[in-house]
Amino acid sequence: MEQTIVELKHLSKIYQQGELELKAVNDVSLTISKGDFAALCGPSGSGKTSILNLIGGLDEPTSGEVWLDKTELASLSKSELAEVRKNRIGFVFQSYNLIPVMTAYENAAFVLELQGVDKQTQQQRVMQTLADVGLAGLERRRPDEMSGGQQQRVAIARAIVTNPAIVLADEPTANVDSHTAEALLDLMQKLNEQQGITFLFSTHDQHVIDRAKRIIQVHDGKIAGDDVRV
Amino acid sequence: MNFSQLAARNIFRNSHRSLVTIAAMAFACAMMIVFSSLMEGVIAGSERNVVAMNTGDIQIHQPTYRDDPDIYKMIESSNQLGENIRQAGFFVAERLFAFGLMASDESSSGVQLRGIDLVSESTVTDIHQHVLHGNWLEQGDSHGVVIGKKLARLLDVSLGDELIFVGQTADGYMANDSFRVRGILKSIATDIDSASVFMSNDMLRELISLPEQGAHQIVIMRTDRKQDLDLATDIVSNVVKQDLEVMNWRQLMPVISRFLETAQVQTLIMLLFTYIAVASVVLNAMLMSVFERIHEFGIMKAMGVTPWQIIRLVYAETLIQTVIASIMGLILGLSVSWYFQQYGLDMSSLADGMTFAGIALDPVWYAELSVNSSFMPIGFLFVMAVIAVIYPAIKVALMRPIEAIHHQ
Repeated sequence: MEQTIVELKHLSKIYQQGELELKAVNDVSLTISKGDFAALCGPSGSGKTSILNLIGGLDEPTSGEVWLDKTELASLSKSELAEVRKNRIGFVFQSYNLIPVMTAYENAAFVLELQGVDKQTQQQRVMQTLADVGLAGLERRRPDEMSGGQQQRVAIARAIVTNPAIVLADEPTANVDSHTAEALLDLMQKLNEQQGITFLFSTHDQHVIDRAKRIIQVHDGKIAGDDVRV
Repeated sequence: MNFSQLAARNIFRNSHRSLVTIAAMAFACAMMIVFSSLMEGVIAGSERNVVAMNTGDIQIHQPTYRDDPDIYKMIESSNQLGENIRQAGFFVAERLFAFGLMASDESSSGVQLRGIDLVSESTVTDIHQHVLHGNWLEQGDSHGVVIGKKLARLLDVSLGDELIFVGQTADGYMANDSFRVRGILKSIATDIDSASVFMSNDMLRELISLPEQGAHQIVIMRTDRKQDLDLATDIVSNVVKQDLEVMNWRQLMPVISRFLETAQVQTLIMLLFTYIAVASVVLNAMLMSVFERIHEFGIMKAMGVTPWQIIRLVYAETLIQTVIASIMGLILGLSVSWYFQQYGLDMSSLADGMTFAGIALDPVWYAELSVNSSFMPIGFLFVMAVIAVIYPAIKVALMRPIEAIHHQ
């Protein structure tokens, strides 16, 4: 039986823009299972990033529930939510979002430091992860000394180094060329297949859609389709 | 990388802004150390002028003498009483006073004659070291007097000039004699400067026919300056055991005492105003520093950094800058204060002849370095820096991660 990592129950998110109400997420129910390599697809403004933000506890739903493993996120305080993000979720953002004053090694090690992992274990895991994402030898480089693709690899390393329950990747290939996009997808696919890391993307990039094992179509804040590729 | 290391790197990320912030804090800190030490020096100097130039720590009079300084209101057994107080561990001197008219070739003025014991007076006051021109009184000089600076100007006399005194003796006859000006004093206090004529008490006793025993005033000084003044006053009162008035200088000069007490408060108020200005610089710098990184803080929150850790990071950045500024400010402030402690700050063009409640303020201000004057400004700086960053730290800590990530 598949282990459910994420479960959304009648999830809605309404943004108030002056007198207008914008339903970004409209009564979405969805489960993500362990080992999924799934993509939330849809045009810009369809609500896929909002769903990702709600799953990651970065935003609060207007109604409905987000369950991560067996925890309902709305019941958690700000600090408890931060703990969940630190220990259970990895994020990969569209524009890399590395901390500019840290090296590649330090960016990847930052969450381990937050978790209180000892230095020796940190070093082993970070060096291994950076090697896994193809950045061996670039550990001491700062973000401004790396290409976009290299920075996104560091972001992926940072997201997976803690062995999270799920990696939430928001348009991870949007800011890189197609060659780099393919390389990044190769990497994430390999991590999914070899290490069983669960990935959930929000994307409208055909490269990602082509690789995803599960396509979840989002339109006007609703799930318009959910196809699993065999 | 821990939060302290991250904070340190963030500081040097925008080195110009950090340097300006640190320099502003360091400069304010240095200035406040100099100001505090100068104030302490001026306060100590004023207290010295009050106590060591004239009043002494404690005085004894007949109960009504201060309101009505009659030459007949004498402490009769002053010799014995002085000896008893000396044995209780104090310095003691007797003084006699009389009033009359002093005339020079050019002018005349009402004066207070002050008869002092030349030996014991130097144990209770430093007035003998405060001569501007000429010399202090000497034993065996039967007509030498020392007069106040303003009186010399008023009578238009200088060293060696003759003065004629006319007054009344204790037995009702006319007292008159001539004297020579041996010394002119620096500014001490309004009454001394403009009306006092110092002479030996033997001369004064003879001039106005006072009895061989007795004094109008007994002046007492603590041998241990750290001894509590009220305690010393109680000890002296217990020794006196007569119907005499025993009062310390704070009771004799309450206005000056209150002024000196409140001078500390004035320093604190000055510190507060200066640091409010510094706090606005710190606040501005930290607001810029924090608000331009809100997106980055959002990313950190997404990675699991808690609101408290965000606050710690912002505070660590502020405290590192404050520590650097404090060290710089301390070095600069102590150096300048040390210079003013050694050589003084000459304010004579602004403050020459300035008095407060009749007490002359020394026109050369000497700083007095102490733990208080050195470290209180630093303590204030830390408090103001901590207060200044409350707003940016709380604001960014409480932001929802998505709100911070999307912040432009």
